[in-house]
Amino acid sequence: MSSYRVRRPGARVDFDKPLTFSFDGQAYDGFAGDTLASALLANGTRMLARSFKYGRPRGIIGTGPEEPNALMQIETGAHTIPNLKATQVELYDGLVARRTTGWPTLEFDLKSLGGLFSRFMPAGFYYKTFQNQKLWPKFEHIIRQAAGYGSAPSEPDPETYDHSHRHAQVVIVGGGASGLLAALLAGRAGLKVVLLDEQNECGGWLLSSPHSVIGGEQASAWLKSAVGELQSLPNVQVLTRTSAFALHDMNLVLAVEQLQDHLPIADRAAHQPRQRLHRIRAERVVLATGAIERPLVFGNNDVPGIMTASALTTYLNRYGVAVGKRILLQTSNDHVYQGAADLARAGCEVVLADTRTRINPAWEKRVRAAGVDVRTGFGIAYARGRRAVTGAQLVKLDAQRNVVVGSGPSIDCDALGSSGGLSPTVHLYCHDGGRPHWDEERLAFVVPEAGRAKSGIYGVGAVTGEFGLQNALEQTERITRELLSSLGKSAPTSSGNLKTDEPDATPARRIFRVPDGRAEGHGKKAFVDFQNDVSAADIHLAVRENYRSIEHIKRYTALGFGTDQGKLSNVNGFAIAADVLGKSIPEVGTTTYRPAYSPVTFGTLAGAHAGDTFEPRRYSPMQAAHVARGAEFEPVGQWLRPWYFPQTGEDLHAAVRRECLAARRGVGIMDASTLGKIDLRGKDVREFLNRVYANAWTQLAPGKCRYGLMLDENGMVMDDGVTACVADNHFLMTTTTGGAARVMTWLEKWHQTEWPDLDVYMTSVTDHWATAAVVGPKSRQVLAKICSDIDLSPSAFKFMDWREGTVAGVPARVFRISFSGELAFEVNVDANYGHHVWEALMDGGREFDITPYGTETMHVLRAEKGFIIVGQDTDGSMTPLDLDMAWAVGMKKPFSFIGKRSFARSDTAGPNRKQLVGLLTDDPQIVLAEGAQVIERADVTPPAAMLGHVTSSYYSPELGRSIALAVVRDGIARRSEDGHKSGRDLLYAYAGGKAHKVTVVSPVFVDPKGDRQNV
Amino acid sequence: MSEPTMRSPLHSFGLEEQAKPIDGSCGVWANEIPHLGYISLRGNGTDPAFVTAASTSLGVSLPLRPCTFASSNGITILWLSPDEWMIVCPRAQLSALLGSLRHALTDVRSQVVDNSGGYTQVIIEGPNALDVLQHVSVYDFAGLEPGRVVGTTFGKSSVYAFRQGEGYRVVIRRSFADYIWRYLVRAAVPYGLGIADLAGSRVTEEGVPA
Repeated sequence: MSSYRVRRPGARVDFDKPLTFSFDGQAYDGFAGDTLASALLANGTRMLARSFKYGRPRGIIGTGPEEPNALMQIETGAHTIPNLKATQVELYDGLVARRTTGWPTLEFDLKSLGGLFSRFMPAGFYYKTFQNQKLWPKFEHIIRQAAGYGSAPSEPDPETYDHSHRHAQVVIVGGGASGLLAALLAGRAGLKVVLLDEQNECGGWLLSSPHSVIGGEQASAWLKSAVGELQSLPNVQVLTRTSAFALHDMNLVLAVEQLQDHLPIADRAAHQPRQRLHRIRAERVVLATGAIERPLVFGNNDVPGIMTASALTTYLNRYGVAVGKRILLQTSNDHVYQGAADLARAGCEVVLADTRTRINPAWEKRVRAAGVDVRTGFGIAYARGRRAVTGAQLVKLDAQRNVVVGSGPSIDCDALGSSGGLSPTVHLYCHDGGRPHWDEERLAFVVPEAGRAKSGIYGVGAVTGEFGLQNALEQTERITRELLSSLGKSAPTSSGNLKTDEPDATPARRIFRVPDGRAEGHGKKAFVDFQNDVSAADIHLAVRENYRSIEHIKRYTALGFGTDQGKLSNVNGFAIAADVLGKSIPEVGTTTYRPAYSPVTFGTLAGAHAGDTFEPRRYSPMQAAHVARGAEFEPVGQWLRPWYFPQTGEDLHAAVRRECLAARRGVGIMDASTLGKIDLRGKDVREFLNRVYANAWTQLAPGKCRYGLMLDENGMVMDDGVTACVADNHFLMTTTTGGAARVMTWLEKWHQTEWPDLDVYMTSVTDHWATAAVVGPKSRQVLAKICSDIDLSPSAFKFMDWREGTVAGVPARVFRISFSGELAFEVNVDANYGHHVWEALMDGGREFDITPYGTETMHVLRAEKGFIIVGQDTDGSMTPLDLDMAWAVGMKKPFSFIGKRSFARSDTAGPNRKQLVGLLTDDPQIVLAEGAQVIERADVTPPAAMLGHVTSSYYSPELGRSIALAVVRDGIARRSEDGHKSGRDLLYAYAGGKAHKVTVVSPVFVDPKGDRQNV
Repeated sequence: MSEPTMRSPLHSFGLEEQAKPIDGSCGVWANEIPHLGYISLRGNGTDPAFVTAASTSLGVSLPLRPCTFASSNGITILWLSPDEWMIVCPRAQLSALLGSLRHALTDVRSQVVDNSGGYTQVIIEGPNALDVLQHVSVYDFAGLEPGRVVGTTFGKSSVYAFRQGEGYRVVIRRSFADYIWRYLVRAAVPYGLGIADLAGSRVTEEGVPA
């Protein structure tokens, strides 16, 4: 076991709080403050994963969201979470973790057998192998299992999630030194500030470097006082464990807060959500997201025990874990020197191989004083070891060019850290369209210092390429002051002394792939992307195969995909591609940074939009009455309407048959409250209706109703309904249930934009009126029992009349209109009385066996009469003439109406249009499938030319046979007159592999003269 | 035949039976204020004839500043748009108000519509009321000053919301009431939700059920 605990002063683990956890069934110890990664390392774990393609042993590389290898299955059963990065899992007592890769076992991975697979899995393997798509399903299962990755829970999620909408003047992303300073300045200026940090505490790199000096005091002390002050400011909110994963237009920051994942499952509060999505609108966004160290690319750089140099430092200083006893560091820059000194002072044997020949003398002095063995001008040709690193072979590098000029020593080590420089975390800056700039001096894609100040987005600190602490703090102060003045504020006091103890920086060496003296592809595999097993050779191959755009190279090699999204690999990949292409890095550019920065659970995105609050369910005022009578419900738009009312032992068909016959022969009752209702008033209301409806409204007298067709600009039917004249300047329009909001918007749009001169106002009263339709020959008798102040006699209250009166003691409007063709009264009352009036009608109808019915029976009744349902029998391409409803079009109105002009279009006016007809099957018991294709001949094999399709199809209890409505080319001319068979009326309806012989008839199957509704 | 009885949109939740006096036991208190009168009023806010006639008839000046409301004598008038207001009143005053408004506006371009069946009102208060509103709506409720009213989202539906006294009122559509209440209850889980007893408390100042 090569790793061990070091009781470092300033470490953020609590050595007084030991914890136990399990990994792959084995028990381990850790401390409060550990991550799963630091605890596993402290226990000496090296290999904990197998790689995706080659099954190579892999270990922990990083300390945060950049980690490509250590993907864990956390917990079991319903609480299990797949693919969490061990570096981001806070340790708690009793935590259960399992590996997610290695098949069949971690110790023996089939893919690793003698490079068996690797020879056959070059870049583009999937494209090349599965061009024959038939093979894919066979291989998919095996490949997925072999590749690894965790499993989603099969049980329902027992936890809850919510969203919080916040509004801030300044949002600061990242609570490192720069973010904290920006928050302090903005907070002291009195601004409403939200500071987000993805870790369990603020501090960023200061947590890994607690002994740095800021303004004469230790960084840990500076950090403590900064956090303390922020917490004391009521206008500042600090959210830790909160990862900002997206930045959208108009400065909308999305961040997920982990509220409970760090607690043992038994300790989690049932009333608290597991995770919370913060949607924060900010006047100003400060990106203080820092940078992630990128490793160097060298042979066998994936052997467990090889990490980023900063990870070695972090594990030592923050978690009190020395990853090895003999440590080899490989660098191209100054950043590793502090860590090298710390590791040496902690008792490790440290060799520091710098690829540069000229190094920083101040740093050299410091690390040598700590006992570090410094070798300059050396690179690692390859690392040794298989399941754990055992050493590395160095080579002498040319002072300028990245070529091998000589041999070097072989160094034994049990941990190896490399640094190729820092890659700023530019992701959020790029989510809403920003592009990072390549800074050749700093060898990094950076956020420009001014950010996009015009949009209110600023960058401070390492994300802008200010990698030195003092420079970063001074820049942060300057930028934050600019931000404050843009909001009319100024920082009231000086930020104090920001001097640090860093030496001035020496230029880094421009090196990404460390050469090994061999042609690419002939030496040891050198990995660029660990999660996807992309080597430097793969990028060379992609370019050889003529992939030129970095976006194509990414997709061909899989560089930068996966749960780490290339946080370690992207810049190395871009740089290597640039070298092979002979282009500069800015010419190659970057791939596209898209949300989410790191994985977000579906539960978080859904929030409270789940279960019974997934989608609004709208209910009628009579809902309780329907539930009490055992209704089955169906969704109609957002409404839930009674579908049918089964009695004991009845299925849908039996119930609908009973309900239909009751409405045709006795009395039925239906809840029509969901229909859209719009109150229109004004001196010009008739003219307005003339323009928005196809038919004429000038003559309709108060107390009368009329059916209207509403058309769109193309002359196509978009809605229909009955509109009543309340008074000369006052009408009540009804719309379809699903079309209510659309019609209201439509009317307002035309009034406000085209005809503001018309004196008319409209208001939705859909929810105000409860509507009970009493339907059938006995409906008059039922109504008479509870309504005494309206003369219901046929001569006084005619079809298409409406009357005001009192029903069941409640003021009511009663409409004699019918969607069934039967005598019917629609009773409208204030919805608060809806339930009362419904029950009163049920009481009054008891002696007539009044039968409640739902939407299914309503559909059958209306289809028997050939009444259309807009959206079912029409599809946005049907004119009134196609529906044989010329009677509902007033071509003589003095002002035009919407859609009129389109009637003259050649296609609309021409022949061969699909028209609404009825269809009768030869076999009366066959109910055609809705959507069945209407064709001319039975002996065809699909695909065949279609004449139309069935739009509505039911079994009619009244007729004792099936009926159907259909739209058929030239259908009206094909209709069979009085059973006369011209031949053109005989067609076939094809569905489910069968062609059924049908006769084209009038769509009015029942009571064609309309006598029944006039009794 | 039974006496006509009203059922408010949230009737099925049985809130009245669960109500208890507001105390420190819950972070959020809510309840329905049922059976108020709601009148939709439309007209041109820049037409003095309309504004004067409506204000005189109501005994309250029509609020003309966007997103404001006015209250007096138990009547609250919410500004909804430059040509739309909602008048909230005790149910007992509804028919008199409708009558006098219609009479006063007979010759003025306008619309007066009884919408009392279409709306109800929910009160939300308590130390975590703002947190709950942050969960359910995109609006910056922390910035909602007394005297202001906004139309905004509530989950996937919409409401009119205003501050009154210590708490917030939301005016909601009847058919969405079930969804809105469930959404509110869900959002309040982390803070504890109490059903506030409104009888005799300050929240009934606008009028109790008729």
